[in-house]
Amino acid sequence: MASDFYQNKIKNYIMQMPSLPTSVTKVIEVCNNPKTSPVDLDKVISLDPVLMGRVIKLINSAYYGVQNKITNLVRAIIMLGLNTVKNLALSTAVLDKLSDKSSFKALNMEGFWRHSLCTGVVAKLIAKERKIDNKQLDEYFAAGLLHDIGKIPLNNIVSDDFIKAMAIADSEKIPLYLAEKRTFDMDHTDVGGLIIEAWRLSGAIADTIRYHHSLELYEGEYKDIIMTVIVADNYANKNGIGFSGCLYPEKVPSEYWNALAIPKEWLHQIDDIVNSEIEKASIFLKIKE
Amino acid sequence: MFSVKIWGDRGSMPVPGQDTVLFGGNTSCLEVRCDKRIIIIDAGSGIRPLGDSLVKNELKNGPIRADIFLTHTHWDHIMGFPMFTPIYIPGTVLTIHGPVSFEDEPLEKVIGTQLSYRYWPVRHDELSSSIKYKSLQETKLDLDDGITVITKYLNHPVLCLGYRIEYKGKALVTIYDHEPYRNVFPTDPSQPDYDPEIAREGEETAKEENAKILAFMNNADICIHDSQYTAKEYVSSKIGWGHSSYEYAINAAYKAKVKNLVLFHHDPQRTDTELQELELFYSTKINAKTTLHLEMAREGKLYYLEP
Repeated sequence: MASDFYQNKIKNYIMQMPSLPTSVTKVIEVCNNPKTSPVDLDKVISLDPVLMGRVIKLINSAYYGVQNKITNLVRAIIMLGLNTVKNLALSTAVLDKLSDKSSFKALNMEGFWRHSLCTGVVAKLIAKERKIDNKQLDEYFAAGLLHDIGKIPLNNIVSDDFIKAMAIADSEKIPLYLAEKRTFDMDHTDVGGLIIEAWRLSGAIADTIRYHHSLELYEGEYKDIIMTVIVADNYANKNGIGFSGCLYPEKVPSEYWNALAIPKEWLHQIDDIVNSEIEKASIFLKIKE
Repeated sequence: MFSVKIWGDRGSMPVPGQDTVLFGGNTSCLEVRCDKRIIIIDAGSGIRPLGDSLVKNELKNGPIRADIFLTHTHWDHIMGFPMFTPIYIPGTVLTIHGPVSFEDEPLEKVIGTQLSYRYWPVRHDELSSSIKYKSLQETKLDLDDGITVITKYLNHPVLCLGYRIEYKGKALVTIYDHEPYRNVFPTDPSQPDYDPEIAREGEETAKEENAKILAFMNNADICIHDSQYTAKEYVSSKIGWGHSSYEYAINAAYKAKVKNLVLFHHDPQRTDTELQELELFYSTKINAKTTLHLEMAREGKLYYLEP
């Protein structure tokens, strides 16, 4: 019953889910400029999980005949056209009027944004290091950027209970998703599932959103991407880059490290690149002048 | 019998007057006949005289039944709908197919809004005919009676579909409104926001998408193609407006082994004299080099793909 109550509230919110507050100013600036540089448009969208998800939704639901799902934003912008993408971005760049008044007490959206971006950047760097085909790198990034998207409705529309879940996780020193389950009878990967359904997402991004806390149950074809995102997620949490609300994440099982064949020490070598990518992005979005 | 008649070939806005007598001033509307079946492509201002003609010639045989395929919902392609007389006649059965925009608004709302008191004295709900709306994506439709309609997204500032209608072994293809895909990202390394990976992806995407359009047009008996501008006009100030040049349309038709190319969606400022001159110029230019036949679309012209 509790789950039904939350589900209905969340489903209504998802229908009009706005972009993150960190992006609003820049999206409006970029998209209202009739001479927008496509590079800026690409950048502003790829820095926001909600916008990125909606563009991917549009191209994959509109282009019925496309055999390979498109997760590459450059391709999407050329195929859909600058205007369509600009208008879509503008339509999501509104202040979140539906949010709970108490949402500011829960997850800080800037921290959440940093966590999401960091996971995307690290997932892509790992894929690059592992010599994954260049064409697939953006899929790794998008899967990382969007993996926690289910937390946005939890944070913004049922904030009081989300705060309770965070408190349970902190006091019992357990991963947040387990505390969410206890509080809502579902966790952010289930909420992610509702977003996947509403946006008709599929493929690696959808599977990462749904299975990044339960890879052992996964039988699909994107195990490699999900595993990479799990490691990248762990990197962001461990290094305190941004904040996902989870202070006690689960350990990454050693078989994941073995399967990816990435030495743990290698992750230290990318600290500077990751930090500089996130700094560049925050300057671009004017979070930091 | 498989035929197509042009009821409107003008782009952007109807342009009545002494300069548009030969080629016509109505906006996009095509009447396709596959024996008894009536298929209409677009509801620009040309659909008004088509509606009158259907009432005059078809109604005596029974209620009018037709499929209307909209290429897209820009105003010049839907503006004639409220003046399409059959919608006011009880018994008329219409199925309207078309793409919708990113807003996910149903087609009924996009088209039907024109029939609201704000814009028109009759509301959509008050129409006596039966109208069904079907949203279209890239797909292949079996329309029964041996008619197949294949759709393909084109490059225009709103979602826009090209149609390929196949009947009795012949193919009619529409490629409008359409601008060739291009890489919108910087490709010059000296530009400040140049990124080699983005530049490569952009080049590859544009090339692949243009090849898909050629494959869609391949071997068409008649291809009705957007050609709002000359190449010079296009390059000087019309890039990104969603339309093709004559030169692009002719080259594409040649490469795709099209038999007859009808140059369509005339710029509203293009006069009869200019269109005649351009038609002569381009026909002469390709004459000795190919068997491709080209001509400017003329309002009222009827083509038979199969007698």
